[in-house]
Amino acid sequence: MLPGEMFELLVKFDGQCCSVAVEAAWTVGRLKSEFAHCHSDDGLKPSDIEVIFCGKKLADELILQDCELQETSTVFATRKRSPRRCDDDASSMPGMDRPPEGRPEGYRSLGADMADLEPQVIQGIMSEEAGSHEQEPSTLHTGKMKPQIYVYCKSQCHSIQPGKLRVCCRTCKGGTFVVHQDPSCWEDVLTPFSISGVCQSDGCSGTIAEFYFKCGRHPTSDDYRAVALDLIKCNTRNVICLTCEDVRDRVLVFPCPARHTICLDCFAEYCQVQLNERRFTADGELGYTLPCPVRCPGSLIKETHHFRILGDEQYARYQRFGAEECLLQGGGVLCPAPGCGAGLVPDPGSRRVECVQQAGHGCGLVFCRECRNAYHPGDCDTTVAQPVTDGGGDAYTVSTERAAQAQWELSRSRETIRQTTKPCPKCKAPVEKSGGCMHMVCTVQQCKFEWCWVCSIEWNHQCMADHWFDVNG
Amino acid sequence: MATIAASRIKRELKEVKADAELIKDDVSVELMDNSYLALTGEIPGPKDTPYEGGTFHLKIIIPETYPFNPPQVSFTTKIWHPNISSVTGAICLDILKDQWAAAMTLRTVLLSVQALLSLPEPDDPQDAVVAQQYKENQDAYRRTARHWACAYAGAKSSSRELDEKVERITEMGFNESDARDALSSTDWDVGRAVEKLMS
Repeated sequence: MLPGEMFELLVKFDGQCCSVAVEAAWTVGRLKSEFAHCHSDDGLKPSDIEVIFCGKKLADELILQDCELQETSTVFATRKRSPRRCDDDASSMPGMDRPPEGRPEGYRSLGADMADLEPQVIQGIMSEEAGSHEQEPSTLHTGKMKPQIYVYCKSQCHSIQPGKLRVCCRTCKGGTFVVHQDPSCWEDVLTPFSISGVCQSDGCSGTIAEFYFKCGRHPTSDDYRAVALDLIKCNTRNVICLTCEDVRDRVLVFPCPARHTICLDCFAEYCQVQLNERRFTADGELGYTLPCPVRCPGSLIKETHHFRILGDEQYARYQRFGAEECLLQGGGVLCPAPGCGAGLVPDPGSRRVECVQQAGHGCGLVFCRECRNAYHPGDCDTTVAQPVTDGGGDAYTVSTERAAQAQWELSRSRETIRQTTKPCPKCKAPVEKSGGCMHMVCTVQQCKFEWCWVCSIEWNHQCMADHWFDVNG
Repeated sequence: MATIAASRIKRELKEVKADAELIKDDVSVELMDNSYLALTGEIPGPKDTPYEGGTFHLKIIIPETYPFNPPQVSFTTKIWHPNISSVTGAICLDILKDQWAAAMTLRTVLLSVQALLSLPEPDDPQDAVVAQQYKENQDAYRRTARHWACAYAGAKSSSRELDEKVERITEMGFNESDARDALSSTDWDVGRAVEKLMS
């Protein structure tokens, strides 16, 4: 946008939103006059108005474009408060804690002081974002550095995008909130009650700031929220990617002490490989997540929306796996019927599990928790898998379970599984041995049982001596 | 995605070829084709080990999911070592299995395999027969490993005694490598070796 160009700025006042045509080179004072003019019927004077943007009152001398105001930006206007609140106002004005001679200090964007936020080199990303209206001309020519937040835009872009940090009142959720101090780190932003301030809206006595994020790519509605991806940064330090060793623009920095860094392409690949091998960590507190590829302690990703990089389809798979791991860790089982896989929480004392049919879930199968075959009295027969049947009866009826058994392709795959796998002695998961020695380690996350392929018992020194390496195994 | 794997291997190959430590030890690695997913490696037997003077060849298969999964490394030169299968050349090394991390490279792998030749770990064996011999009869292990290095890896100064024992069994009509396997696993007792071959 060129300095002389007009654009529409949204101004919220008394719960109403109105659009004001402004020029980027205007001062905030001029905006106030223009706005007061629109509301002259209410007897509103420019001197009665405060303009608040991103937790700060904007001084009259400031130039709109320097305050990062642009098309689709929303500012909040309020009537100046009674003198009672004057002491609060003093600390909220940029530069007011210094002697007020000369011009007030320039506008600093919200979060500009966040130490763990890397500034973005505006010129560096211009090729990628050419034509976008995000960059103000003044910063483009000076190559100014601006801190960059990345978000996952859930509702429109469905991708990782540069984001904007915004603040509102925790009590009334209004944008007419002035912070006492800028957040200085991600913790200030992500931990509730970290930053205080004063809500300027009439009748609200809120004093706690609530931060939220918007996608920087498009205008957003009031209730729109993007998820902050705090580990994604602009690679201003030219750190090489842990995996491909390239220096890329955007990287993910793991929370481990070494701050291992990976480019976004490799991170996406890392997530996909770990998902395919079901190697995510089911952490009791953080959920289904990943450590850094070096597996440093303390490197687990806290915000699981980072895995959105997998794309919608694979993210849904990630969510399903995560839910399954959670169920299994809680003592639940998955229905073994083909195509069912319903999550069940069986009675701890019983071997008999019924996949209850209700609300479109469950297939009705009754199975043994130990061997995952059809429920049977007595010990499990682990040598040959029992076909699942409806338990007999001489009427010529075919149960759905038996119909599932009698499918040509399915019977073949069932046969293949029976011939090529052995069940893990502990969790009964069918295991295929594709090479290597007789020492097996169950790949099921919570099992990891070490066992002998020949004897189907726990791995021991006798097996090690007798048949650790047997070619015919 | 093969592209990350291939580009990583491309860089790692350069790194290995420029690495002073590996060059000094004559450790090398070459591409098998243009895919960057199959390589061959060469490791000389370390000094003061039964493998000294021999040259051992490796096959290194890079999975498409490299470096998030480890490369599959095996010996193509037959070798008598507690952590390497005397039959298939498969290597038992933790970093090639569950201790693999994406930050490791071909260089790490080659150095680790080389170190394994110098320092066997009989408590975590790949070949139980060798491991047992290593623990119970160090001398037999050394002589056998030396004999194998001469027979398969081009090392010099083999023991005449062991060569003759192999010859005696091959004269009975058995294949040379079967004869050597049988003798090696019976601490070079010709009678027991023949018995083993007949069973």
